[in-house]
Amino acid sequence: MYYFSQILIAIFLFSAQTTWLELFSFGGVTPDLILVWVVYCGVRYSRSSAIGGGIALGLVQDSLSGGLLGVNTLSKSLIAYFFSTLKNKFYVEGMVPIGIFLIVSSVFDGLVFYFSMGTILKGEVASSFLYQSLPVYSIYNALIGPFMFVVLDKIDGWLQPKMSNPYMGMRR
Amino acid sequence: MPKKGNKKNIALVSAILLFSLALMTLNVKQEKGTDFLDSVAGFILSPFQNFFTQSIQSVSDSINHYFFLVDVARENDQLKLEVQRLISEKNQLVERLASQKRLAKLMAYDDGWEKKAVVASVIGKDATQWSKVVVINKGTQHGIKDHLAVVTDAGVIGQVIHAGPNTSKVLLIVDGRSAVDALFQDNRISGVVVGMGENECQLKFVPNTADVKVGDSVLSSGLGGIFPKGLIIGKVSQVSKKKQGLFQEITLTPSSDLSRLEEVLVLLF
Repeated sequence: MYYFSQILIAIFLFSAQTTWLELFSFGGVTPDLILVWVVYCGVRYSRSSAIGGGIALGLVQDSLSGGLLGVNTLSKSLIAYFFSTLKNKFYVEGMVPIGIFLIVSSVFDGLVFYFSMGTILKGEVASSFLYQSLPVYSIYNALIGPFMFVVLDKIDGWLQPKMSNPYMGMRR
Repeated sequence: MPKKGNKKNIALVSAILLFSLALMTLNVKQEKGTDFLDSVAGFILSPFQNFFTQSIQSVSDSINHYFFLVDVARENDQLKLEVQRLISEKNQLVERLASQKRLAKLMAYDDGWEKKAVVASVIGKDATQWSKVVVINKGTQHGIKDHLAVVTDAGVIGQVIHAGPNTSKVLLIVDGRSAVDALFQDNRISGVVVGMGENECQLKFVPNTADVKVGDSVLSSGLGGIFPKGLIIGKVSQVSKKKQGLFQEITLTPSSDLSRLEEVLVLLF
């Protein structure tokens, strides 16, 4: 039941990301719901679950994009690893810490793309990417993220009493 | 001596790096490496993408056509389409005329539009922020394969980079990996239209001596084997000549509105 619900959330997020989310684009930039979910996994779940989730979500995101396979797998799994490892050293509740985590994650995610595009794919990246698109992307994620955290917390809270063996060690 | 926890951390990070690099290498070395994953992900997600896209279009249609301007919006849409069609037709005719003038005694003009094409709907966009790729609802079962040109009434939009059974990915001309050989409609000077990952493209390798003006039309040259000759790509929106250097810096606005793609045409040749 738990894993089934996670798959449903993933399908919904990927569908939203690839269809109607563009209606809310700002300057051609939309938030990355998958990134927010990976940070959520890193902060809320055990390390192995978070890294597993990061790898799986990154791999699916790579498959659903026209980019290089492995770029999102790398960034998302490292983000999940980073937050699942360091969450006990930081205060992770509240809008401000979550917002800061999301800004850091977004910058890292964007830089991984930037360097992979420039080195492996030998493609062109507009010069405005670093000082325009990436900051907007980071701030957008940081604004959307806390609300998504609240929704995901509600879903988790709703699922928990419905399962005989809730989370099976998923929580930190 | 490193602690046990540190060793575990190093091992984990190394494993992640190795796995990701292996995937990237596989993808770069073997272009077909990701086909299976792409097809499976596309197969699972395409019904949901279809559902969301159709729902949005229905809601959008309702708002545009019923609540606000019942008939005017519809007529306006039709007129816009008609204008796009006429512009496209005019460009084709101008191009055809120019071509026939040059080649009249050599060969008959081969009109690409008479060849086979498949109409497809855009059902999704790229799952990441940065690649400019759209997903269409037709695949190999409909005759689509990799490296086919994709156009709209207004002009070229991109090429198929992965054809799954029922869905395909189209790399738009604004993506940083896209390059289309092109020429100016008027002066026939050639260049390469390169995407920059944003809403506009750049036209590279146009010599400083060439007379280029804002508003000049740029067409596909037919070189490269993907895009037939004479399809409109876009119009020049900015020209800058540097005192040093051989080439001009030309920015191009694609003729199709790539942020609002709904139906496209895949050219099967």
